Amino acid sequence: MEPVNPKDRLIRRVAAALRGHKGPVPAAPPASLPVPAGGANRVARFQELFEAQGGDFLSASALEPLLLALGEALRLSGVATLLFPNDDPAARQVAEALVPFGPFTLASPSELRQPSGRPVAGIQSAEYAVAETGSLVQTSRGGKTLLPGLLADVHVALLSPAAFVDRMDECLAALSDDPPRNISFITGPSRTADIEQTLTIGAHGPRKVIAVVFP
Amino acid sequence: MEPRSRSFHRNSEKALANPALQSAISRTTGKFLGQRADAIAEFPGFEAARDEGSRIKGEALDHLDRHLARFIAEAEKRGAVVHVARDDAEAREIAAGIATREGIALAVKSKSMAAEEVDLNTALEGAGVEVVESDLGEFIIQLAGEPPSHIIAPAVHKTREEVSRLFQEKLGEPYTDQIPELVRIARRRLREKFLSAGMGISGANFLCADTGSVVLVTNEGNGRMGTILPRVHLVVAGIEKVIPALSDLPVFLRLLPRSATGQVISTYVSVLTGVKRPEDAEGPEKLHILLVDNGRTGILQGKYREILKCIRCGACLNICPVYQSVGGHAYGWVYPGPMGSVLTPLQTGLSQGAPLANASTLCGACADVCPVKIPLPDMLLELRGDEREQGLKAPAELLGVKAYAAVMRRAGILEALERIAGVLSQLFFKEGKVPWLPFKLSGWTDRRDFPAPSPQPFRKLWKKQRGIRPWNR
Ligand code: SF4
Repeated sequence: MEPVNPKDRLIRRVAAALRGHKGPVPAAPPASLPVPAGGANRVARFQELFEAQGGDFLSASALEPLLLALGEALRLSGVATLLFPNDDPAARQVAEALVPFGPFTLASPSELRQPSGRPVAGIQSAEYAVAETGSLVQTSRGGKTLLPGLLADVHVALLSPAAFVDRMDECLAALSDDPPRNISFITGPSRTADIEQTLTIGAHGPRKVIAVVFP
Repeated sequence: MEPRSRSFHRNSEKALANPALQSAISRTTGKFLGQRADAIAEFPGFEAARDEGSRIKGEALDHLDRHLARFIAEAEKRGAVVHVARDDAEAREIAAGIATREGIALAVKSKSMAAEEVDLNTALEGAGVEVVESDLGEFIIQLAGEPPSHIIAPAVHKTREEVSRLFQEKLGEPYTDQIPELVRIARRRLREKFLSAGMGISGANFLCADTGSVVLVTNEGNGRMGTILPRVHLVVAGIEKVIPALSDLPVFLRLLPRSATGQVISTYVSVLTGVKRPEDAEGPEKLHILLVDNGRTGILQGKYREILKCIRCGACLNICPVYQSVGGHAYGWVYPGPMGSVLTPLQTGLSQGAPLANASTLCGACADVCPVKIPLPDMLLELRGDEREQGLKAPAELLGVKAYAAVMRRAGILEALERIAGVLSQLFFKEGKVPWLPFKLSGWTDRRDFPAPSPQPFRKLWKKQRGIRPWNR
């Protein structure tokens, strides 16, 4: 009997097609994939690849010099407003500590939906940093917002040393049981080379991405 | 998209006569190739990843019924609505229906080759939807009213001056020859659209069966905008995009950006699973996934199954001497280069696409670079065989090939012909070059000289230079 549902019909059609021809004999899976693991060099490897894609990287052994450097970087990019998610205490703490360096005003991420014309920095804790690719991982797990890394002109991602993993596999494994609605790997600022193959920063997303590793 | 592959020869003549296009193509392909080579030199695991990627795709295709069923069930469990289109007309009808039911006036679209295949924009515009292409290259060619010419860099054929004049004319922007300024204009224009669009449309680089996730890989971030901000997200993807598990994704992320642009990873990779959850701050309330067959089950059935492993990286385009010479438009349909030369005849029919399968020297470069090890040259050869079997070859070509085979089987005749050609060339072509050939053969001499036949037959030269006699080894 012909199933009426187009989805079932597709599955039937595919199954029938597969019976028509045996595909090539699959090779055995390789024992392991030689992916350069960071190990002790995790953070250094992350920095190298993140910077190669145009990202900025800041780390220091004490909080004070780190805030100074970050405040300076934001001021130089013309940032006037700092945004942080309400449910992100680390981001709030950093944003509040940064105010005197600007001076900056503080706001909540939902204001990004009304573009104001003045450069805005979105500050948010990132969940993972992947050494293999130099990527930040930001997700919607637990209802987290994605707007700071999406609509802000400058994206500041806060990383704890525990956020670093060697390979993409590790963070996907941690998320795959019940994947959040959005898992984003972010590696440097938005870019395009669509006009004359000339690399240009800031096509749609942030023009600057700063990864900050806190001691 | 209406295929025009039958006129490949005429299309390529036009492309070869366009010097601006020629330099744009060689700049792009050269750059991609160089960056790809560097990225692979720095990644010792590339070969192992190719084997693994090819194996996983093979396994996914050999059990596609199971994986598709799983993908559909998992995606729907998480709130997605999955639709299935057998062909392009059905896909257009379904998409227009979705837009109408959701009450969409404005949609932002990021690149989807499957949407291009079924001509989605026409259908949506017919349903009263304004569709804005949000990938910068696609945005440019949409303004120009042209189809893409490269699957990774759709506007490779446009110079900054042409882009600026286009922005001036269509958007009323002031003229500038600064690329960053052009990008800023597009960013500003498109940001307004992202914030007001009711629907985001995307393709999918991968669909994960075990979680029902849709994976998007982009550099600009347009795919991210269009799948987070609008209320509705429509995914248009071929059924072959399914991979068994989310945990299979890393190997493809190691292959795709390196092969496409030489990046270790593209700037943005989004793994999208289901609709906005009650606790989520943003995300689409509605997720429609439109799975397109459009000839794929037919391909699955036969000896060309492996072409469905293709992850659309574009490496085979960049390395192909034919693509390097004629660019993407000449191929006349959605997919150019070696992968297009296999897919076009299979999806649009051999009588339409056969000229593409013949436009190759079978040099093998595409198979060498393909990250999922598709035997592209074998398939091109196989397609020529099919063309012969279906009686689609021109009688003159068959006669020519038969004559060629007859000569090549008889060493004596070959040598006699070589001697005659040698004498004639001594008489007529003193420079050792043939600058002009008559009629159909003129293609060989229009843009370059053909080397004149040697005065001595091949076997004599061989004997002299190598000191061996192949016939009594
Ligand atoms: S056939 Fe291979 S090389 Fe060509 S686009 Fe597809 S995956 Fe890339």
